[in-house]
Amino acid sequence: MTSRRAFLAALMAVAAPKPSWADAGSPRWLACAREADGGFALFGIAGDGADTFRLPLPARGHAGAAHPTRPEAVAFARRPGTFALVLDCATGALIRQLTPPEGMQFNGHGAYTSDGEILYTVEQRATDSRGFLGLWDAAYRRIGQIETGGIGPHEMLRLPGGASGDVFAVANGGIATDPSDRTKLNLPDMAPSLVYVEGDAIAEQVALDPALHFASIRHLAQEDGTLAFAMQWEGPADRIVPLLGLHRRGAAPILASAPGPEQALMQGYAGSVAFSQGEVAITSPRGGRMHRFDAQGGFLGATTRADICGLAPCPGGFLTTDGGGGVLRVTEGHARPLGLRPRAWDNHIVTL
Amino acid sequence: MRLSLAFGLFMAATPVLTAPAFAGVDAVLDSHILPGTAAFAEAAQALDASAAADCQPTALQPAWNAAMDAWMGIGHLRLGPQEQATLTIAFWPDSRNSGRRTLARMIESEDPMGLETEDFAQVSAAARGLYALETMLYDPQFNAYDSGSYECSLVQVMVADLAEQATDLNAAWLQKFAPELRNAGAPDNALFLSEAEAEAALFTQLHGGVEFNADQRLGQVMGTPERPAPTRAETWRSGRSLRNLTLSMDALHRMATALAETPIPAVDEAFASVAYFAGAVEDPAFQDVADPMARLRLESLQGRIRAVGDALSLDIGEAMGIAPGFNSLDGD
Repeated sequence: MTSRRAFLAALMAVAAPKPSWADAGSPRWLACAREADGGFALFGIAGDGADTFRLPLPARGHAGAAHPTRPEAVAFARRPGTFALVLDCATGALIRQLTPPEGMQFNGHGAYTSDGEILYTVEQRATDSRGFLGLWDAAYRRIGQIETGGIGPHEMLRLPGGASGDVFAVANGGIATDPSDRTKLNLPDMAPSLVYVEGDAIAEQVALDPALHFASIRHLAQEDGTLAFAMQWEGPADRIVPLLGLHRRGAAPILASAPGPEQALMQGYAGSVAFSQGEVAITSPRGGRMHRFDAQGGFLGATTRADICGLAPCPGGFLTTDGGGGVLRVTEGHARPLGLRPRAWDNHIVTL
Repeated sequence: MRLSLAFGLFMAATPVLTAPAFAGVDAVLDSHILPGTAAFAEAAQALDASAAADCQPTALQPAWNAAMDAWMGIGHLRLGPQEQATLTIAFWPDSRNSGRRTLARMIESEDPMGLETEDFAQVSAAARGLYALETMLYDPQFNAYDSGSYECSLVQVMVADLAEQATDLNAAWLQKFAPELRNAGAPDNALFLSEAEAEAALFTQLHGGVEFNADQRLGQVMGTPERPAPTRAETWRSGRSLRNLTLSMDALHRMATALAETPIPAVDEAFASVAYFAGAVEDPAFQDVADPMARLRLESLQGRIRAVGDALSLDIGEAMGIAPGFNSLDGD
């Protein structure tokens, strides 16, 4: 005989199916923005560029992490981050506010495991900027942390997993910052790296030629076993250096540049990176341009747009957002506006 | 290379509602940019013609100076086709002396790349354009060549390359980029999604040009009080450092007037003050910068130029709802 409890549970399951991203308007992307009144919010963006939802944020957001199945997103404060908000994007409810443990700071990015059971948050220790990944369980309780093997980690990315579980790539930017602000403390000695984390250990670590140690590795994207990393140059401004690297496990990284004068216009700064169907792109809000490359690092072309930074793959090319409120689709280098919103889009677009 | 602020629209000011009628972009194009790029193309062609007739420095210097004058009228416009072209037409500052080093190497080996205009377009940006030509025409280590020498042919190729670039630049503005600016907000315009964005792009050039004059044209030579750097003055060998600055400020004033479309007395006053302080500078090549009194004059001038930037932000930028870019300032 069916117990009363089981019966009720079954009834609940029928009456209230598990919430999914469809309940949040089926956004394809998430992005933070500053609104016309000076406030901040997290937005869902549909495949055609339209807004699907808007959730106010108490302060400027940076990037976010989306749960693989539930319509939950974590919006991270910008560095040095004292909070991250877990939001129910279907109802708008605040599920949980995450606070880093005493002495730790969120660094603006994070990622879920593929089963959605664990959230990883990129963190640094306030006193020395040493990098950690914070681990949070499905109820968002702190359950541990892992060292990233570097200073000032920034973005992390879940890679398509092997049999033994998820693999994460982490960009150790290499820059130590003041515990209370973003003042850079160690530029002469900075040593950025790229690490692959399997389980709770670093499985592979990649560093560039020491001559490029001023290139802070900060943002990541992947496709077909190639990890793309975007860099920001902290060295002499008149040195023109690559801002995009491509790496396959076990191999040496390939560095990619546009021809001289075009590369110079990026102003030593790549703010986001994305892969889309064999093309990889980086954006520079300082240079007001996006550069596209093939998966071997060959330059394909530049697309200009003021204050462009947000970048994500979309069918046929890339979706971009910018500080002027624009949402654009770039197909084979040809940009087409999808909309102009009364807000300044922040640095990143999270793809669901 | 220049690191500058990029301006975007400042949302809180609801620019679409409060901005004055949108004729500023047309006015800037018609009264400032397009006449300026046409004049530069013409001056570069005249320089080319002069070099074809006589490649020697003394013969070429007047036409080179006229081309420099014309460039100062538009050199602050670093958008559209001129973003890249600026690097190959006007590579300055060149803090590593790349231009001189490349030219010296080419001359030493009589590099065939220096003998064909098409090949020359492949050489380092620092060895091309107006500033590399100054080295060939005014630097005593380079300008003692005879007609018929490698250097003579090289200069003719450099000048032909410059004329070609100037012609292309003028055509690109006329045929492609000016229509994009005028057509701001049209459904297929992915560069300027609204008329206000086109205004903001022009304002960025205006403000960036003023900053460049303060930070680079004066900042480079001033160095620090302990270490002034006379040889980092712009085109000091031709003695036209102050002339560049003055012509540039005059051009920026004309651009501001066209963009604002309403009287801007505080801006006019700030520009007038720059002209007054520029008049007090004694050495047109800023070579006296190590003298404390001369340095003080340059510092005062720099301060007046910065005041122009502030006045522009207040009277034009804020009125149009323009503020520094959200992401370009963030850095993360």
